Amino acid sequence: MASNREGARGLPRLINVPGTRLIAALLTALALGYIAWKIGQAPPQALQFAFNGLAVGAVYALLALGFTLVYSTVWFFDLYYGAAAALGAYGVFYLRTDPALGSRLDINSLPVNVIFGAVVAGVFAWTLHTMIEPRLRRRASPAVLRTGVAVVAVAMGIYTAIVLSYPEHLQLTLSPAVGLATAAVAIAITQRVAHSVASRVNATLVALIAAAPAAVLGAWCGYLLSGAPGAGLYLSWAVSCLLAGCVGLALYRGLYVYMRERARSPLIMLVASLGILLAIAALIVIVFQSAPRPLPDAFGSTPWNIGGARIKGFNVFAIGVALAGFAGMWLLLKMTSFGRAVRAIGDDEEVSKVVGINTTVIIAVVFFIGAMYAAMAGILTGHDTALQPRMGLLLLLKGWIASVVGGIGNLYGAIVGGFVLGLVEQFGIWDLAGEWKDAISFGLLILFLSFWPQGLLPRR
Amino acid sequence: MPVNIEGIREFARLAREPSELVRHARGNIGLWLTLIAVAAAAVFMLMSGTKFAVGAATLFAIWAILAVSLNLVVGYTGLLSVGHVGFFGIGAYTMAVLTSEAPYEQLRTGVIPTFGWPFFAVLPLCIVLAGLAALIVGVVFNRFRDDIFVLVSFGFAIIAYSVFLNLRSVTRGAFGIHEIVRPQIGAWTFDGNVAFLLLALVFLGFVMLISWFITTSSFGRVLTAIREDEQAIEVFGYQATHFKLAVWVISAMMAGLAGGLFASWTRFIDPNSFILLESVLLVSIVILGGLASIWGSLLGAMAFVLLEEGMRFLPFIPTEYTGQARQVVLGILLVLLMLFRPQGLVGRFRL
Amino acid sequence: MTANNEALALETDSISKHFGAVRAVDELSLSIPRQGTTSIVGPNGSGKSTLVNLLSGVLPLDGGMVIIDGAGLRVVHAHETPAHGLTRTFQEVRLFDQITVWDNIMVVLTERKLFPSLLERVRPANRRKAQDILESVGMWEKRESMAMELSYGQRKLLEIGRAMAMDVQTYLFDEPFAGLFPQMLERVKDIMKQMRADGYTIVFVSHNMDIVRELSDRIIVLDSGTLLAAGDVEPVLGSEEVIEAYLGA
Repeated sequence: MASNREGARGLPRLINVPGTRLIAALLTALALGYIAWKIGQAPPQALQFAFNGLAVGAVYALLALGFTLVYSTVWFFDLYYGAAAALGAYGVFYLRTDPALGSRLDINSLPVNVIFGAVVAGVFAWTLHTMIEPRLRRRASPAVLRTGVAVVAVAMGIYTAIVLSYPEHLQLTLSPAVGLATAAVAIAITQRVAHSVASRVNATLVALIAAAPAAVLGAWCGYLLSGAPGAGLYLSWAVSCLLAGCVGLALYRGLYVYMRERARSPLIMLVASLGILLAIAALIVIVFQSAPRPLPDAFGSTPWNIGGARIKGFNVFAIGVALAGFAGMWLLLKMTSFGRAVRAIGDDEEVSKVVGINTTVIIAVVFFIGAMYAAMAGILTGHDTALQPRMGLLLLLKGWIASVVGGIGNLYGAIVGGFVLGLVEQFGIWDLAGEWKDAISFGLLILFLSFWPQGLLPRR
Repeated sequence: MPVNIEGIREFARLAREPSELVRHARGNIGLWLTLIAVAAAAVFMLMSGTKFAVGAATLFAIWAILAVSLNLVVGYTGLLSVGHVGFFGIGAYTMAVLTSEAPYEQLRTGVIPTFGWPFFAVLPLCIVLAGLAALIVGVVFNRFRDDIFVLVSFGFAIIAYSVFLNLRSVTRGAFGIHEIVRPQIGAWTFDGNVAFLLLALVFLGFVMLISWFITTSSFGRVLTAIREDEQAIEVFGYQATHFKLAVWVISAMMAGLAGGLFASWTRFIDPNSFILLESVLLVSIVILGGLASIWGSLLGAMAFVLLEEGMRFLPFIPTEYTGQARQVVLGILLVLLMLFRPQGLVGRFRL
Repeated sequence: MTANNEALALETDSISKHFGAVRAVDELSLSIPRQGTTSIVGPNGSGKSTLVNLLSGVLPLDGGMVIIDGAGLRVVHAHETPAHGLTRTFQEVRLFDQITVWDNIMVVLTERKLFPSLLERVRPANRRKAQDILESVGMWEKRESMAMELSYGQRKLLEIGRAMAMDVQTYLFDEPFAGLFPQMLERVKDIMKQMRADGYTIVFVSHNMDIVRELSDRIIVLDSGTLLAAGDVEPVLGSEEVIEAYLGA
């Protein structure tokens, strides 16, 4: 299938028939005309639908962002991405910080905690091994280093298992971690500053001295922060996002790396990740049962009334998260050396390897970030509607569609495509029943692939 | 076809040297796996009693028809379709709507007319309707390949499910359709499970025969060439899109047949039998058994049915989770296969 | 149609192909006579492979017209080219990797139409023909192995054999000599000489000037998508602009 790999990465060529563009223009005009007509009929309702569309679109945009990041780096469809969304959402349910949820279903089980602990331990072992060990190689013997890495990794694994085992004390178990993280950031910043102010001085020493109070302060802040009322829910978001990200990273490092060495076609990767998706979806059913599960309301349930439309605070928050996610990824990709490396790998992985980019590390981080975006999208969906074991696959497909609509591999396209998909879906169900919305989004996908295979904003 | 003298000589040579025979057989994974599957099936029959075994065997026959038909598309033509369940569902709903006489009243849609046609009159319609749907879908899908084809075939499965669920005036939505008739010839009905099993096996044999006929013809050879390099085969004067469309329609017609059988066997269907997950499982079966191999699909379907039934006997898995446990095993198997044996157990084509 | 036109196997009328801003083939008009060997040469990136791809319909034309066997085509459909008496090989060998050598040959010897091909099994005449071709490229013993298991030279030979099985008038060979060991190279040369003697039209792209001198009756020199020179081999290769194009740029 050598020929299939080149070309437009499986995207169909636009048919060179003169009528195609005409039909495409006609369809667009028809759709816009329909929406304009509906808006003219009932402006308040239109506002409601538009807002709903934006709220749903925010989730799709988040999914598409992470999806685009991963896809345009490794060029295969990683279906674990869907499982990450489900894992994130169910993670919040698992860490049920709302006592009302906990009493209904006792799901906290040792095997689950041990598995996640092991995954985190593995991720930490690998991270320390690749990031920290080379820097310390001159100062300590390999045996000491290896033992140190192993001890830290196992400790982190045990810590994760403990955090997961006592979800009702999330504030207590997590505050040291929050404090440490704040301290680490403080140290990094002071080191930077010290380095730029006086390069002659031993920057590390200065940073350590200056950072000691910062670390204490950070730990204290972290304790206060995590102890604040209602913080449990947001902490559980962070924990389940991180866990989903860790699983993504572990899958890449532990499995995909070996598979990509031998894979002849991206379909092998697709099928393998399909297997992972199947297994995780089934495990979710085993742990949480198949009935839909609710998540607590995050920002109160009384909607605001603006111009006749009922607007929920949480949905506004979701739109904000999507925009923030876009801004974060834009900064990461366009402003940092990491982003340059990611783009280089996306253009040509072999050449980047030759140039000296550590492709394995960069791609692993990409998988971590991508899975975190998916998990966040899953959490937002979970709060908005309810959790279902099948939600992962559907969310994955929506993110996939959004990125095709926006233009595969384009960051701006991802967020535009997400919102367009959300709006089309919501305006589409105005006259139809709400159950048709999945069919509508796939109809949109097929139209786009037939008439605008490159999407709204093509990649370069 | 001349007699395969060399093969006979080879066998004679092997028979003289028993150790050679063993070595020869060791490399033949397909043979061993078939033996294991058959042995497992026999053990299962002994342990579970006839009634249960007959049910499992019927399920196997239906899954096998689906797997063999999907293998034509996935294994021989190289189009990884996850939308096969849509055609299965079209067949099943055709059978259900046209044969059921169960009354159905709903406030919104009023009374739905019932037809009460016999099984054998509807079965050809199941096949034709699934084929027609495939023709329409195929014309649109023909331009896609690889990952994008996977995506749009996901889309077809979801659109088909939406239609089954929401087109209440025909499919009765989530309520489902009851009292689907069993096949009947003259005065004799296939009421018994054994009789139905035999009928399903006959259809399975029929589907296998057609698949064998297709794959060994020149048409089948062109399909494999399309799988390998679509552009190159065009240069030699073949219109690849026509061949792809043809095999897509044929495969969908077989799925329609399986759907008709399924509806008649369970006598009740609702949209939950045709969710996307079923399709994903089906693709896993085909890949597990072996791409571009009819026997492989059979083996995959057998393994799939045996896995679930076998799980019932494991003490540490609660009975309500056997399906999920099987899904976990299947997922892990897929990953392992992609790592070590991308052509599936007995397949002849690596993805 | 004049007698002159009937002597032409291939003709292009100001064809163009752009990749973004790059003009791979730019308003190119040339003609290739029936019978004999024509070679297409030119520096890297001069549009040789693009030209072959345009002639065989693998790439769509951006403008102009291709005249194959007297039929003017503004859109060349790849699957229609054999009907006009044209087939080709690819620069990067494109065999059907995961089917046998035997099937690789048989696949071009069978029915093109859908329903007849469903009913067709291997015909004795085709079997004989495939055997002849496999023997002529020295691959008969390998007939049961997968095409992907062959060595590079064998793959190249098999691809030429597959094109020969088409039995059409005009053959486009894209870099048939690239990367071959001397022994294989002689073999390909012999095959092409034999085909020339049998009265087929051969068009080939090559970088190897010795082979071009040895095999071709006519030569076409391309430079950045335009025709630099065309005609008999020695005068063209001796002309100043050709030497400049090769050495200057």
